[in-house]
Amino acid sequence: MLRMGAAPGHRLLLGSCRPRPRAPWLPRLIGQRSFADVRKGSSNSKDTSASTSDPAFLPGSQSSAAPIKVPPPPGPVNPTPLSAPTPATPTSSSTISPENVPLTPPPPPPTKVQVTPPTSVPPPPKSPPQSPPLPSPPPSSPPPPSSSAIPPKQKRRRLRFLLYLTVFTGLSYGAAVFYALKSDNFHDFFTEYVPFGEEAVLYLEERSFQKRFPNARINQSRVPSSAQRVGNRVTIPSKSGISWKVSDEGDTGGSDLSQKGRHMSALDANKPPKTEVKNAQQAPNQASQKEMSDAVGAAKKTSTTPKAAPATAAAAAPVSTPVPEVKTEKKPEMMPTASPTTPSPKSEPRPPAIAPVTHLSPLEVPNADEPVVQELTKIVNDLITVINADSPNASNKYSAPIAKAKESLVGIAAKITALKEEERKAGEEKIKEARRQFDESTKELARRIDAARGEELAHYREEFEAEREKLSRSYEDKLKTVVDRAQQVSEQRLQNELTEQAIELKRKFVADIKSLVEQERDGRLSKISELSKNVDDLQRLTSDWNGVIDSNLATQQLQVAVDAVRSAISRATMSEGRPKPFLTELAALKEVANGDPVVDAAIASMNPTAYQQGVPSPAQLIDRFRRLSSEVRKASLLPENAGVASHAASVLLSKVMFRKQGVPPGDDVESVLAKTETHLEEGDLDGAAREMNTLQGWAGVLSKDWLQDCRKVLEVRQALDVIETEARLQCLRVE
Amino acid sequence: MAEKNVSGPPVPTARSTKPVSEALLNEKWDRAISSLLVRSGLGFGFGVIFSVLLFKRRAWPVVFGTGFGAGRAWEEADANFKRGDRPMTSEGLRKTRP
Repeated sequence: MLRMGAAPGHRLLLGSCRPRPRAPWLPRLIGQRSFADVRKGSSNSKDTSASTSDPAFLPGSQSSAAPIKVPPPPGPVNPTPLSAPTPATPTSSSTISPENVPLTPPPPPPTKVQVTPPTSVPPPPKSPPQSPPLPSPPPSSPPPPSSSAIPPKQKRRRLRFLLYLTVFTGLSYGAAVFYALKSDNFHDFFTEYVPFGEEAVLYLEERSFQKRFPNARINQSRVPSSAQRVGNRVTIPSKSGISWKVSDEGDTGGSDLSQKGRHMSALDANKPPKTEVKNAQQAPNQASQKEMSDAVGAAKKTSTTPKAAPATAAAAAPVSTPVPEVKTEKKPEMMPTASPTTPSPKSEPRPPAIAPVTHLSPLEVPNADEPVVQELTKIVNDLITVINADSPNASNKYSAPIAKAKESLVGIAAKITALKEEERKAGEEKIKEARRQFDESTKELARRIDAARGEELAHYREEFEAEREKLSRSYEDKLKTVVDRAQQVSEQRLQNELTEQAIELKRKFVADIKSLVEQERDGRLSKISELSKNVDDLQRLTSDWNGVIDSNLATQQLQVAVDAVRSAISRATMSEGRPKPFLTELAALKEVANGDPVVDAAIASMNPTAYQQGVPSPAQLIDRFRRLSSEVRKASLLPENAGVASHAASVLLSKVMFRKQGVPPGDDVESVLAKTETHLEEGDLDGAAREMNTLQGWAGVLSKDWLQDCRKVLEVRQALDVIETEARLQCLRVE
Repeated sequence: MAEKNVSGPPVPTARSTKPVSEALLNEKWDRAISSLLVRSGLGFGFGVIFSVLLFKRRAWPVVFGTGFGAGRAWEEADANFKRGDRPMTSEGLRKTRP
């Protein structure tokens, strides 16, 4: 119905707008947008696609609507197994079945002929204005009046040919338009090369666009949510929406009807456009603001105009507006007489209840979403059509039960929709709940992950720090050791170099000094050696002379010492009768001799008692000899082992004996004594001692001491003589 | 004889240790006479005492005693002279030589 209403308006608008440059591209934009939507819908979810394809068929008008348009949209859009078969089949069957029934009588081919006659008959007045936008209906409508005029037979033939031609062309045009809606390539081709093709396609697209939104308003909550949240997966479950879409067809039809029925005013008509605009804004996000505003304006214009137009049209028509031609075409067939007033499917259920009606309007369920309901409605509609086709009375007859059935059907549909709504709400709630849970869980998970990651991060950082520190420490140690070693090596090397340099310098210095000294020696120093030689000679000389002097001194001292000893011995004899020791003198002599072996030997030859007690002088010796001689004479006559008596005899007898003088021969005691006396008188101590030594017996015993003394004196004399000669010898040696 | 011995001034010094060789005989003589006197006097004294106490004042114990003493002194002097210049031993006159 809307299509019918909108078609002329749009046409007019297009015509008026054509001169303007905007007009063509604005709709185009809209169309493109819708096309994009369609695409999106087809790609993303079938909800949108279904909605886009919605306009093709109207639930109410389906049965009556042109078979060309209606069946294809659901077919391609609802190829899904669930919804597609049911809605498609009923429509086709319904369209065919009701038409077939009445069309059987006329001779021409089934589909085309059937379609054409009904259309041509009733709508002559209405179709002409509507025909231009929709190619198929208008061509069909004009011919019928001509055919109905019934000119002569030849003309009829020609007319018939013409009619066929027009019908064929119209059909093909319609098919082309439809196909253009489906295939992009063909769309391009069609819009570019076929006259009015662009307008037609645009119009259809726009229609679908418009229709989609008012319907979508209910489902908007769902659709946008799914679309916004990028729920490709979420939208998949809404595939069930495909079936939903099928129901949408019915819905749209219902809504369309309700729209028209409810909102006769332009104010109401404005509302849907707003929603449309909103949707449009939502859908094409890529569009810039300008474009959007432009598009909004255009959409407003376009949407308002077509809707306003149909609204006005509906208003013009009494209760049941002049339903789309399709319906009208069919209805005229069923009830050519009374139907014109009540052609709308909506009004139909009511009239029978109110009053006897000649024509039963097809059932119209407000929300025929469910396929079951659709089927039921189809069946009822078929029944109604059959009844309608049967006879005018039949409609009256069955009006009441059919109305009842319709009411019950409507109730069922309402219940189903309510149930669906509930289910939907529950599902939505469930989804929300699930989403919330999911969000919470995701948050929790994220938090946990964050925490774990933080912990791990800290842990790894710590480890990293520790590792790094360890590495750095070890490297530092290594570096230190290396540096130390390098320093040591360098120091050692430096020291070595220094020592080498020092050695080198020393060598050089020594060499220089040597060379210098050599030079000097060659010069002045050569004389010094001579000088030193001379000095050495002098020293030697002086030392020699010193030795001589020393030896001289020593000899002199020796002689002095010997003199001292002699003087000491002689002094003792001179001063006193007793002998005096001359030990100190002898010691001095020994010192002066300075280890002279000869002197030492001479001293050693002396009897120690001699120098300790002194040596009697010759005078003392002579005096002692005199006393000794008297004693010896007393014991001169003693025999060997003489006792007291012999001793007494010898003493007595010795007094009587004669004394001898001089040197008497013989070796008796008396003669020995005389000889000794003489020796002593001569001063020959040595001879006296020898004489006395010859005595034996008691005489010898008695002269022992005197002999001892004599020997001592003789020894001392000899030693001193030796020392004196030695000193003299030394003096001689020195010189 | 004793006078001769004393005359020598250096003798006293020698006396302390050993008599001078020429004064040997003189000393022997001195000893013999002194011993004779002491022993004969002792014998005399003993004879007197014996004669008074035991033999009712008879003369022969006195002579016997004096003779006994003089004999002992003689014997001693004789041994002394025969000993020669060997020093006197306090132990006794007889000396067994190996």
